[in-house]
Amino acid sequence: MTEVTDALLYLDGVTVSFDGFKALNTLSFVVAPGEMRAVIGPNGAGKTTMMDVITGKTRPDQGTALFRGSADLTKLDEAEIATLGIGRKFQKPTVFEMHSVTDNLLLALKGDRAPRRVLFARETLSERARIDEILETVRLSAVRRRLAGELSHGQKQWLEIGMLLAQEPELLLVDEPVAGMTDAETADTADLLRRINQTRTVVVVEHDMTFVRALDVKVTVLHEGSVLAEGSLDHVSADPRVVEVYLGR
Amino acid sequence: MSAMRTYSVAVVILGGALAVALLSLLPAEHALHVPGYVVALLGKYLCYALLALSVDLVWGYVGILSLGHGAFFAIGGYAMGMYLMRQIGARGVYGNATLPDFMVFLNWQELPWYWGGFNHFGFALLVMALAPGLLAFVFGYLAFRSRVTGVYLSIITQALTYALMLAFFRNDMGFGGNNGLTDFKDFLGFSLQSDATRAGLLVASAALLSLFYVVCRMLVGARFGKVLVAIRDAESRARFLGYRVERYKVAVFVFSAVMAGLAGALYVPQVGIINPGEFAPANSIEAVIWVAVGGRGTLVGAIIGAILVNLGKTIFTGALPELWLFALGGLFILVTLFLPKGVVGLWDRIMARRVPAPPLVAAPVRQPEAGE
Amino acid sequence: MRKFLVTCALVLFAALAANPAAADPVEDILTGFASSKYDDIEKSIDALAASGDAAAPAILDALSAGDLQVSSDKKLYIKGDDGSLKEARSGADATGEIPPGLKAVKVNNRVRRAIDAAMGQLTLLSPDPAKRLSAAASQFHAPDPAQLPAVESAIAKESDPAVKRAFEQARAAIILVKSDAPDADKIAAIGLLAARGDEDAKSLLDAATASGSPAVADAARGALKGIERSLAWWSAAQNVYYGLSLGSVLLLAAIGLAITFGVMGVINMAHGEMVMLGAYTTYVVQQAVMVAAPGLTDYALVLAVPAAFLVSGAAGIAIERSIIRFLYGRPLETLLATFGLSLVLQQAMRSIFGPTNLQVDNPSWMSGSMDLGGLAITYNRFWIILFAVAIFALLTLVLRKTALGLQMRAVTQNRRMAASMGIRTGWVDSLTFGLGSGVAGIAGVALSQIDNVSPNLGQSYIIDSFMVVVFGGVGNLWGTLVGAMSLGVANKLLEPVAGAVLGKIVVLVLLVLFIQRRPRGLFPVKGRAVES
Repeated sequence: MTEVTDALLYLDGVTVSFDGFKALNTLSFVVAPGEMRAVIGPNGAGKTTMMDVITGKTRPDQGTALFRGSADLTKLDEAEIATLGIGRKFQKPTVFEMHSVTDNLLLALKGDRAPRRVLFARETLSERARIDEILETVRLSAVRRRLAGELSHGQKQWLEIGMLLAQEPELLLVDEPVAGMTDAETADTADLLRRINQTRTVVVVEHDMTFVRALDVKVTVLHEGSVLAEGSLDHVSADPRVVEVYLGR
Repeated sequence: MSAMRTYSVAVVILGGALAVALLSLLPAEHALHVPGYVVALLGKYLCYALLALSVDLVWGYVGILSLGHGAFFAIGGYAMGMYLMRQIGARGVYGNATLPDFMVFLNWQELPWYWGGFNHFGFALLVMALAPGLLAFVFGYLAFRSRVTGVYLSIITQALTYALMLAFFRNDMGFGGNNGLTDFKDFLGFSLQSDATRAGLLVASAALLSLFYVVCRMLVGARFGKVLVAIRDAESRARFLGYRVERYKVAVFVFSAVMAGLAGALYVPQVGIINPGEFAPANSIEAVIWVAVGGRGTLVGAIIGAILVNLGKTIFTGALPELWLFALGGLFILVTLFLPKGVVGLWDRIMARRVPAPPLVAAPVRQPEAGE
Repeated sequence: MRKFLVTCALVLFAALAANPAAADPVEDILTGFASSKYDDIEKSIDALAASGDAAAPAILDALSAGDLQVSSDKKLYIKGDDGSLKEARSGADATGEIPPGLKAVKVNNRVRRAIDAAMGQLTLLSPDPAKRLSAAASQFHAPDPAQLPAVESAIAKESDPAVKRAFEQARAAIILVKSDAPDADKIAAIGLLAARGDEDAKSLLDAATASGSPAVADAARGALKGIERSLAWWSAAQNVYYGLSLGSVLLLAAIGLAITFGVMGVINMAHGEMVMLGAYTTYVVQQAVMVAAPGLTDYALVLAVPAAFLVSGAAGIAIERSIIRFLYGRPLETLLATFGLSLVLQQAMRSIFGPTNLQVDNPSWMSGSMDLGGLAITYNRFWIILFAVAIFALLTLVLRKTALGLQMRAVTQNRRMAASMGIRTGWVDSLTFGLGSGVAGIAGVALSQIDNVSPNLGQSYIIDSFMVVVFGGVGNLWGTLVGAMSLGVANKLLEPVAGAVLGKIVVLVLLVLFIQRRPRGLFPVKGRAVES
C-alpha cells in the first residue's frame, strides 16, 4: 500500500457493531508522530473498542486503520501489530503474576519472539543493563526480585508501563493508567508519560480530569462511537455538547 | 529448582529401576528376588508417569487442559503394537508369515499399505514419535490458531480421542478392531516372556522418563518456559507483547504428544496388548488426575502422582475391586477441593512449617494460580 | 411313460363316468377339491373363480380359513365357527348323519395365493367399494393377462374415482406383463405406474426394462429413475425423522447442560449421571406401580417424570452445595471434581442395582407405529419428539417469565450487581443448578424408553451433549435446540452413506472443525460481556 497519510496512526470511518449496537460509529481519529493525545468520554463511548481495533483484537466491520501510513491494522493480528511497534497497557493492570518483576521486563524486551529463537536465548549483558534502566525509570528497582503478583496495584500499573517501554514501541496506547492510584502516584505517572512522550507517541485514555489537565495535551472526546469534539482541554470543556454528555452533572 | 534437585530426581528414577531390574534377575529362591510381574507393573507405572509428565507440561505450564492425551499415548502404542505384530511372523495361530492373525481371520489377502515398513524397528520408532506429533500438530494448529481455550479446548480434545476410539473399534480400519493387537512374541529379537527382557524394558522406561524429565525441566527453566507460563497466566498480555501464542502452544503441544506417544510405545510390550479401550476419554481424564494429585505445574509431581494413584489402583482392585471407582472418584473431588497443589504442594507446606519460613523469593517450586 | 399317461386318462375317465352329478359343471369343479394334490386344488380354484358362481366367494373364504371340509364321497361342506356344517354349494344346513370321512381341504401358500387371485377376480364387481379396491390391489400384485377383459369392464362400470384409479393401475400392471400388448399401451401403462411411484410399481417396472421392445424398455428405465428418486426422497424423509428423534434425545440430554454450562458456566461432567439417575428413578417408579397398582402400569411413566425431576434436581442441589460452590471461577477444577463425582455415582448405581441392564417397559400407548405416506412413524420416538419440544417450551417459559428465571439471568449477567440488589445469589445458583439437573433427570425418563438403563447410560450422552451446547452457542437455549436437531439429523443422514460409526466420527470431526472456525458456536453472544 502506498502512503496516503503522514500521520502515525490513521483511523477513518471505522465501524464496529455488536449485535446491532454500534460500539464504534464511523470513527475517524488521527495521531501525528511524536504527539501525545488524551482520549476521554463517558462509559460505552467506544474508547476501549478503539484500542482493540488499533491493536488487532477486534476487526472493524468497515473503515481504514493505518499505522505509519502503510501498515493495514485491520489485516494483522495482535502479535504482528505489537512487533510493528504498538504497545498497549490494559485498563486492568495485566502483568505475569507468577513471574518476578525482572522476568516480566525480560519477556517484554524487544527481540525475536519466534519460539525456536527463544528456545536457545540466554540473557545478555545488554539486556540486563536495559532492564536495570527501565527498573530505574518506573521506580521498581527495590522490588525487582518480587513476584509481580505480590506488587501493589500502583506498582503493577507502573510495571506494565515499564513492560511497554521494554518493548520500545513507536506508539503507546495507555488505558486508564492512574485508576486506583493516590494523588501523588497520579502526578508521578503524568510526569512519567510526559518523559516517555519525548521519544515516543502516546495515546492515553483516562477519566481522571486532573490527570488529563496535568498532561496538558490535545484532547479527543468520544461519544457513542464517534468523535464529539477535539482540541485543548479548555476548548472541549467549553463545548456545550461535551458538558451535556460527559463533563456536566 | 536447582540443577542438583533436577538430576537427583532423574538419578532416583533410573537408579531405582536399575536396582529392581537387577534384583529380578536373581534366582527365584533368593530372598531379594523381585518377581517378574512386579517388574512389568513398575514398568507400566513409569510409562504412565511419562504420560503424566507430558500432560503436566501442557496443563501445568501452558494451561492447556488436554482431555485427549490418551489418544497420543494409544497411537504410540499402536505403532509399537504393529511392529510387534510383524515380529510374530509365521508363529501366529494361522501361521501366515506376513499377515497378522486378525487379518487372516477377516479374510484379508494382503497387508494394508500403512502396515508397510513396520517390520523395521527404526521405521516403527519414527512412527511412534511422529504419528502422535503429527496429529497434535494438525489438531493444535487448527485449535490454537482459532484461539479455542479453556473448557472448550478440553471438550474438543475429549471428542478427538472419543472419535479415534470409535474409529479404532472398526475392523476395517486394519488395527484389529475390538481386540486390538496382542499375542506378541518378542521385541528386537528378545522374548517378551523372559525376565531379562522385562528388566530391560523397565530400565528403558526409566531412562526415557528421566531423559524427558530433565529436558522438560530445562525447557521450563529457560526463557522459553517463562514465555509458556506468561501465556498461561495472561495470554492476551503475551500477545500484545508480540508473542505468537499459537506457535508456542503448538510447539509444546506437539512435543508433549511425542512424549505421550513414546510412553504408549513402551507401555505396550510391557502389558502385552493394545486395544481401542486405551482411547477411552476416561483414561485421558485419569491421567489428568494423576497430575492433579501429584501437583500441577511441578513436573516431579506428575511422576509422583502417576505412581501413587496407580499403586493405589493395583492394591485396591486386588483387594476391594468394587470400591476402586469410589476411591478414584473421591480422589478427584478431594484433591480439587482440598489439595489444589497436590502432594508436592502439601510437602512444601509441611517443610515450610518445620523450617523457619524462607524468604518468599526463594520459593523452590512455583505454583500456578488456581484456575486457567 | 406313455403307458402311464394312458393309465391316468383311463382312471380320470372312469372317475368322471362313475359320478352321475357331473352334469353340473360347477359341481364338477367342486369335486376337484377332494383331491389330495395341491395342483388339482389350485386348478379347481381357478375354475371356480372363472365360473362366477354365487357360492364361490363363500367357498373360497372357507378354504382360505381352513373351514372347507370334504367327505369321502367328495361332497363339500363349510364348517361354521360353532361347529355346525353347511352344504358348500347351497349354503343349507347339512342334515342327518355326519358325512363319513370328513376332513379339511389342504391349503398351502401356493393355494392361498391362488385363492387371493381368485377372490380378487370375483370381487372386481362386488357392491362393496372396499372389496373392489382390494380386488384391484390383488390384480395389481399378481397381474394375469387373462383377467384383462374383466378389469376393463370393471373400469367401465366403476364410479368411485379412487377405486377406478386402482383398477387402472391394475390394468396397467396387466398390460405390462401381457406379452402381446402394443408398445403404445405399454408405454402409457408405464406412465401410470410411474405416477404410483412405490416399491411395487418399481418391481413391475424393473421387470419391464427387460422388455424386447427398446421403446418400452427405455420408458421403463426413465420411469424407474423417477421412482427411485421419489423413493430416495421418502427414505431421506425417513432419515430426517430418525434424525429429529435422535435430535430430541440430544436436546433432552443437552438442555439441562445448556442451563448449568451455558447459563452458569459450570462444566458438570456428572450431568450424564443426572440423566442416569432419572432413568433409574423411572425403573423404580415403574416397579413400585406394578406392585401397588398393576392396572396403572401404563401410566407409571407419567408419574416418573416429576419423580425423576425431583430426584435429579435434589442430587444437583446437593452437588452444587457440597462441591461446585467452592469451585466457581475455576472451570477446569470443576470439570475434574465433577468427573470424579460421575465415577462415584456410576459405581453407586452399580452397587445398588447391579451392573446389568434393567428392563423398563414401554407403555402400550408408546408401542407400535403408523404409516404416513412413505414414512413409518414409531410411537415411542414420536412421543419423545413431542416431549422434548414440550420440555423445551416449558423451560424457555420458566427462564423468561418466572421470578427464578429473572433472578437467574440477573446473576449470570452481573453477579455483584444482583447481590447488591438483594438477590440471594448463592440460593439462585443452587436452584439453577437443581433446575438443570432436574431437566437432565426428565431426559432420563425419556431415554429409559429407547436405551438400556445401566450405570453407563449417562456416559454415552455426555460428549454429544457438550457438543450440542458448544455447537449451538453457549448461553442460548434456542442455539441448543437448533444444535441438537441439526446434529441429530446430520448423524442420521450420514449413517446410510457412511455407516453408523463412521457417520458419528465424521460428525464429530466436522464439529471439531466447526468449533475451530466459530469458537462461540452457531449463535454466539457477542459484545463486551463475554470478553471479561
